[in-house]
This record gives sequence, C-alpha cells and structure tokens, in this order.
Amino acid sequence: MLELSHIRKTFTAGVDSVRVFEDFSLSLDAGCFLSVVGSNGSGKTTMLNLICGSVLPDAGRVFLDGRDVTALPEYRRFARVGRVYQDPSAGTVADMTVAENLALAHNKGRRYGLTRALPPSALAAMREEVAGLGVGLEDRMQVPVGRLSGGQRQALALLMATCTPIDLLVLDEHTAALDPKNAELLMKITDRIVREKRLTAVMVTHNLRYAVEYGDRLLMLDRGGIVLDARGEEKARLTTDDLLPLFGRISIECGN
Amino acid sequence: MLFLNTALEGLRLGLCYAVLAMALYVSYTILDFPDLSVEGNFPLGGVIGTIALYRLGLPPLLAVLLSFLSGALCGALMGLLHVKCRISKLLSGIIVMTGLISVTLALTQLLSRGLTVVYFNYIPNGVRGFFNAPFTAGFSSSAKTLYGVAVLLVFALAVKLLLDLFFATKAGFLLRAAGGNEQTVRTLGQDPGRIKMLGLMLSGGLVGVSGCLYAQMRLQYDNTSGAGKVVIALVAVIMGLSLFGRIPRVRPTTAVALGAILYSLALCFFTLIDRGGIYLKLFNAAFFAAVLILGENRLKFHTGWLKTLFSGKKRGGEKEETTDA
Ligand SMILES: Nc1ncnc2c1ncn2[C@@H]1O[C@H](COP(=O)(O)OP(=O)(O)O)[C@@H](O)[C@H]1O
Ligand SMILES: [Mg+2]
Repeated sequence: MLELSHIRKTFTAGVDSVRVFEDFSLSLDAGCFLSVVGSNGSGKTTMLNLICGSVLPDAGRVFLDGRDVTALPEYRRFARVGRVYQDPSAGTVADMTVAENLALAHNKGRRYGLTRALPPSALAAMREEVAGLGVGLEDRMQVPVGRLSGGQRQALALLMATCTPIDLLVLDEHTAALDPKNAELLMKITDRIVREKRLTAVMVTHNLRYAVEYGDRLLMLDRGGIVLDARGEEKARLTTDDLLPLFGRISIECGN
Repeated sequence: MLFLNTALEGLRLGLCYAVLAMALYVSYTILDFPDLSVEGNFPLGGVIGTIALYRLGLPPLLAVLLSFLSGALCGALMGLLHVKCRISKLLSGIIVMTGLISVTLALTQLLSRGLTVVYFNYIPNGVRGFFNAPFTAGFSSSAKTLYGVAVLLVFALAVKLLLDLFFATKAGFLLRAAGGNEQTVRTLGQDPGRIKMLGLMLSGGLVGVSGCLYAQMRLQYDNTSGAGKVVIALVAVIMGLSLFGRIPRVRPTTAVALGAILYSLALCFFTLIDRGGIYLKLFNAAFFAAVLILGENRLKFHTGWLKTLFSGKKRGGEKEETTDA
C-alpha cells in the first residue's frame, strides 16, 4: 500500500544542514495500522511529510497503492490520503461551522462547483454521524469550529479525514495537544474508525502506551533510522516495559 | 432641501461604493488579501466601460460586463504574481496598480487625446450610459438623482444576492476555507492557489464593475478616480462588519454595503463644509484611523443594543457560546 524506498533527506537553512534520512526504506501492507514512536527530532514528522508530499525527498521514491507519487504535488496526493495534525487548528477551518466543515470534507474527491454545499436535508445525517463520535458535537453543528474544545476539534478533523474513501490515514501526534482523558477518548475513536473502515494507517505518537496498545505494527525511529520494527505476534506481546529501556536510551542520547 | 439632496447624493455614492466594498470583502475579509491593485483596477473599469459606451456604442449593461472582465483579468494577474511567483500580497497589488496607471492612460487616449478626464456631456454624440440620455431624458435634477439611486440599488442588490448565493455553494465554501486554512484545502485534494486566484478574479471583477458604475454615475471618467479607493473600501468593510456584522440574520455582504453607504453619507456631508475638497483625503485618513481604533473594540460594545434589538433578546441575556470540553 505504502512504500518509501531509499529516501534521503537533508534540510538546509543557511550554513546549517540537518540530515534527517540517509537511506530510509519502509513498506506497509494494506490494512495495516502502524504506530511510530521515537525521540524528538528523529524524523517522524518528516517521514509523514514525505509520504504526503509536504516535503520532497532529495533521493528515493514514494509509492502509494503501487503508484509512484514522488513527483505528485501534495494536494493531489491528498485525494487518496487523510491526515490529522498535532495542532488542533490545522485540520479544520476555524471560522466555518461544524456542519460547513463536514460538508466540505464529504465532497472530497468530487468537484467543488456551483451547487449548493449544505442543503438543510443533509444536516440530519451529519448530526447522526458526529453523534457517533461521542464528543457532543451533535449539539454544536452551527458553531464555528474555532469555539470547540481541542478534543472536539481533533475528533472532527479525524472524521473529516476519514469520511470519504482513502488509501491511507496519516496521524501526527494527533492526541498530543489534549488532556489525558480526552486523548484517551480520541485514541479509542481513532482505533474504532480505523478498524471499521479497514483503513491503512500510520500513527506517530508520543505515548509509548498507545503505540503498544493500538495498531498491529510498531516502529521505533532514532536519528532517521529504524531501531525497532515489531509486527504480528511480536507486536502483540510487546509491553511498555519492553520498550522503555530502548526508548530511554535513544531519548537520553538525544539529550531529552 | 440641501440636507435631503446631500443625503440622496450620499446614498447614490454609497451604493456605488457598496459594490466596491463587497469586492474587498471577498479579497480582504475572506482571503486576507489587502488588494492595493484596486487603485488601478477601479479607473480601469471606468475607462473600459466608457470606451464600450462611447467608442463601441455598446449598451450600458454590456459595458458593465466588460469592466467585470477587465477587473477579473487584473485579479488573475495579481493572483499569478502572488501564488505562482510567490510575491507578497501587498507587493503583488502594488505592481499591478503601478502598471495599470499606464494602461488606463493609454486607454484614455482612445477617448480623447491628451486629456485625463472625459466629460460625458461634452462628447458630441453623447455617451449612452445608464445615467444620461436617453434613459434620463426629461428628468428634473432631483428625479435624476432618485433614478440613479434606484439603478445603483438594483446593481448593489444583484451583486449582494449573487455573492450570497455563491458563498452557499461548494466553490464558495472552498474559497472561505482557502482564506481560513490553506492546509485544510490541500487535505481536501484541492489546490489552494487556484482557489485564491478564482477569489481574486471575482473580487477584481467587482472592483471593475464598481469603477464602471462610478464613471457612469458621475457622467465623467477621470483617470485619477482610483486614488484613495482602497481606504474608502476598507473603511466600508471594517466599519460595516464591526457595526452590523454581528447582528443575527444580517449577512456580511449586507453589512459591508451598509458600511459603504454610511461612510459615503459622511463623505458627502463633509464636502458641504470642505467646499474646496482640500481636506477630503485627510478626512478619509482620520476616519480610517478612527474606524480601526474603535472598530475592533468599542463599536461592537456600543452596538450591543442593536444586536439585542434585532435578535429579540433582552439586553444582557445573550447566550454566548462557551468553550467547554
Ligand atoms: N522544514 C524543515 N526545515 C528545516 N529543518 C527541519 C524541517 N522539518 C524538520 N526539520 C528538522 O529535521 C529534524 C527532524 O524533525 P521532525 O521530523 O519534525 O522530528 P520528529 O520526529 O520530532 O517529528 C529536526 O532536527 C528538525 O529540526
Ligand atoms: Mg513531530
């Protein structure tokens, strides 16, 4: 489904240059839910940006669903990719209402022409849809998204990213800005949606426990390299205690 | 009588500027694009419309349509500079505005050699615009003004209704999203640059229309008519939105149009005092500063009663949405 092949990526800013990936390869089967952990600056977000086309590799290729998308601009790749960002304000339009945001998302993959965007008849179905998230959005359909809580906003962003058919869901620490209770709730919703829609997903998380509890494959990154790749049985048997020593070591090496 | 006449003058001017204000609502409020090309685009609409009426003998409505197209072209050009060439918003506008000075001057040569002001009444065969013969043949002076108000009201209303309809469509939603959060537009699989271009073309086209109506209404095309129009439009938008924007059921298009009318009334009454027109620009500048200073804070506060009046709720009994979890 997803393949990164021999990726090299260096960021240059003035005289400074940061080599994030030297020769990075990863392939992910369809239907797999991959969790990714790693120290700060290990390249997790960059990996997601490379997948989505937000950042272009210096060398190497990106394949989505067997197609070489390396040269495809970001917005074109998003036709078949959904993404939820760490920042709750990134995935939704703050001054549009919940219903308006959802109407936009439901039309993804189709033309944004001169037909009515939000017929009143569509509201009932939408209300039911957001009620399924269980975060109380059904009573706030006409409220601008900017006035929602972070948890509600991320849940909406998740729904918007997954409400049309996609090949891949990309989650970048999407629970990081929430308090523990709401983060846990959003994680449960995420897992349910990924399972129900049988999505292929890549989830970067700062929380080792989430990486262990959710997903069917776990990747640990350190300075642009894969230091742990557990799948199937091995992943199922992993506990946070198994990960902690390794994670602690790479974190300390990075000075955090 | 003087009062009534001045009020009618102000209303007529205000309806003309209402179209301009709605154009800037699209570029400035929706797309966060303070479009300085207005100063060149506005007279361009005027000169294109005048050429269409006078040289090509086209009906006035076609002249308006042509000025929309010329304005849309300017919007597209500015959009290209900003989106494709990554020139900042302000500078893209300044570049287009500067270039347009020569374009309008060259086009004016088609109307009358060497002059920068063209008076419709002095043109031998007459310019058949909306506001002169044969449409107004036999009208008294105040009947002409009333007729002008009526025609411009039709235009302003048409633009308002079309914009409202547009903003209820999928394309309109996407335009709002492009102004609010470009990345969201990208994750919807759409190119935000393209959407912005479309928005700037729409806005530019409306600026052209406003310029064309302005020239027709004043029965003269003036090459310098663009000067200060950005400020006028921005005052109308900002004042309109802060005074009327929060009243339930009043759409932003209506709010900015009302802002334009209010401001034009103020302008017209000011010219009663300032006969020579020397202090007009100073008045504009001071008014703009006042609107910016008061706009965000105090006007909203002072118009709380307006809100409550229109929403039918008791004062202080408004329920604000809270950010609960
Ligand atoms: N757009 C960019 N420009 C310059 N440096 C960047 C950029 N994006 C990431 N980096 C650098 O690349 C390294 C990896 O960053 P990132 O992928 O964000 O790490 P993380 O694993 O914490 O998400 C960091 O050193 C970061 O400073
Ligand atoms: Mg990151």
